[in-house]
Amino acid sequence: MGKAFDPSLIVDFIPTLIYYLGVTLQILTASVLLGMVIGIAAAILRVFRIPVLNQFVILYISFIRGTPILIQLFLVFYGLPAILLFINIDISRMDALYFVIITYALSNGAHFAEIFRGAIKAVDYGQTEAAYSVGMNNSQSFFRIVLPQSIRIAFPNIANSIIGSLKDSSLAFTIGVMDMMGRGETLIAATAHALEVYLSLAVIYYAVVLLFEKIFRLYENRINRHQSVDVSVTG
Amino acid sequence: MTIDILFIWTAFKEIIRALPITLILTILPLLAGFIIGLAVALIRINKVKFLSGIANGYVSFFRGTPIIMHIMLIYFGFPLLIDQISKKFDLGIQSDSIPIILFVLTALSLSAGAYLSEIFRSGIISVSNGQMEAAYSVGMNSFQAMTRIVLPQAIAQSIPNFTNIFIGFLHTSSIAFIVSQKEMTGAANIVASTNLKFLESFIAAGLIYWGLTIIAEGLSFLIEKKATAYNRGGVQ
Repeated sequence: MGKAFDPSLIVDFIPTLIYYLGVTLQILTASVLLGMVIGIAAAILRVFRIPVLNQFVILYISFIRGTPILIQLFLVFYGLPAILLFINIDISRMDALYFVIITYALSNGAHFAEIFRGAIKAVDYGQTEAAYSVGMNNSQSFFRIVLPQSIRIAFPNIANSIIGSLKDSSLAFTIGVMDMMGRGETLIAATAHALEVYLSLAVIYYAVVLLFEKIFRLYENRINRHQSVDVSVTG
Repeated sequence: MTIDILFIWTAFKEIIRALPITLILTILPLLAGFIIGLAVALIRINKVKFLSGIANGYVSFFRGTPIIMHIMLIYFGFPLLIDQISKKFDLGIQSDSIPIILFVLTALSLSAGAYLSEIFRSGIISVSNGQMEAAYSVGMNSFQAMTRIVLPQAIAQSIPNFTNIFIGFLHTSSIAFIVSQKEMTGAANIVASTNLKFLESFIAAGLIYWGLTIIAEGLSFLIEKKATAYNRGGVQ
């Protein structure tokens, strides 16, 4: 069980591990952007109650919210190649990183869809009526008036969700992705200083989360700058 | 690779036998976290000197790092600590003899405490100040007002949040498989690798988690209706 605890190693490991922060952020960025597209599309299907697709989205959201991210990761990792093999596409040699991005995009998509749905409903119907009154059609009033406002309302929850996703990305190493956690595992195998490695990782994750919280708070103040104090929606 | 539908049922029966461990890993940390969270929330709301600084740091750190970190840090850190103390005071406790599940439970309890304290805090803050004043006016002291008037309302209002945390920790307990606990995900992994049917096993595990989540949501809805029966909001 490892060697004697050496606090100085915690600092020594940080540069090695932080080098792999890029991979973690790559997973996060790709999955948040893809998730945003999925989320907005799913929310629109839900809000306008498009038949069949609406029920499908309900099932999708329920499944993602009902299963651990670890199980979703395994299902995509083992399931996607099996499904694609039916149409003769062999992706079993694909980099595990892409499976992770797909899983987190699907997971983020479901969470974002619920957030956007609530936010779209929170926009006052008077806004749509006003848009109609100046001659906009359905899609113009939705995309130019309602959706931009709903993004402002949704932002605090989206920010929380992104931070949650950053923390969840620490599970990607279970299917063999070389992110910070994965590099940590190899460091442990090489040096047998498990506790020090995990302490460095905790320091890095904590610092990144604090930084993200700060950035999101600044951005939130920025997008709310036109709101008078009593109606601004702050998380 | 083809999908063996029948094997999903076989795996299902095998995995569901690990349900008690998953439930232990979910419920015990939440019970411990309930006490920790309530204490931390009260410390932070009343701004207790010195302690509130520690409480803020605790909540911020545990909410700012992945839960797998907490499990790993305690899994690797506590044995070292216990062996040191044991050697110093000659207690004769060997860290090897402590079951791993206790470390996992400790880590999850500390995480749950941090997450629950935020829910208690927002719940207590959301109860109108007039309630406290009314309690004082009929002669209650702060402790009575808190335990008899404010907390019951705060807890009733927070039921949806508690359900989210319950579901979150039900799912989080799957991380315990990384430190080789045989809870449902661990069981699924064993079934998968002994039969080389990974997809089928994880489909079965996913279905069980999904079912449990739906049951939890249904129960929460019923409890919420009962607990907030006194308050019908703006609709009379």
